Amino acid sequence: MTSATQSQTMAAKSASLHAAMEFVRKGALEAKLPEARLDELDLVIEEVFMNVCRYAYPEGEQGTVTLTFSIPAPGELSVEVADQGVEFDPLTASRAPSTLNLESLPIGGWGLVLVKALASSLTYRRDSGWNRLTFRIRCG
Amino acid sequence: MSILTIEQKQVSDQVVLFVSGRMDAENAPEFEAKCTACIAEGATSLVVDLGELAYVSSMGLRSFLSVAKTLQGKGGALRICRLNGLVKQVFQITGLIQSFPIYESVESALTGG
Repeated sequence: MTSATQSQTMAAKSASLHAAMEFVRKGALEAKLPEARLDELDLVIEEVFMNVCRYAYPEGEQGTVTLTFSIPAPGELSVEVADQGVEFDPLTASRAPSTLNLESLPIGGWGLVLVKALASSLTYRRDSGWNRLTFRIRCG
Repeated sequence: MSILTIEQKQVSDQVVLFVSGRMDAENAPEFEAKCTACIAEGATSLVVDLGELAYVSSMGLRSFLSVAKTLQGKGGALRICRLNGLVKQVFQITGLIQSFPIYESVESALTGG
């Protein structure tokens, strides 16, 4: 049995991060994600959410993020993170560092490497002024 | 939800930082500030025990890399030990497990062996 979709809108700022994690954990509970994997889900949310907080809106402009979760199939959690900031497709912008040498490694840019590895799917679309990034997590 | 605890111990002439809890976007700068303070006091290498750290995000990785680069510039290193669980997974996914000196125990990190 699948449940209705749930959404929550919050300020696009780091102070909302834990509220975002708590909200998506409700979806994880419904999708029966094992408790041992909740931190993994938090990590994906943190990376995607903080990306919006840092880059979506011009400095000084207070934007919002809308989180929506659904259970598209038993044992699968789908989460959409939507903002009305500048158009940005993180899937084309991200790149894996080409070296493992500490001296030449960038200190940033690891968030999407983690999201791509932990989510079972990741899609982006620009829709009437909205950035909509959706990831799915297999809960089985 | 995001409590980070950092305990500092001096073992002979080396500084060991025992990091526990969760290191996320909000509190990773605390770790970096602690390391910066140790470096300002003269440390050129740091041993970091992550055995009790349950969570780390890319902001934590950023802090580890920033501190490691600073120490490397001083001819030292950030020696990481007791990786496990999600934290170990994060280092494996990013490949950073191959970029840092990683040790099984504090003792082996202290001797660098």
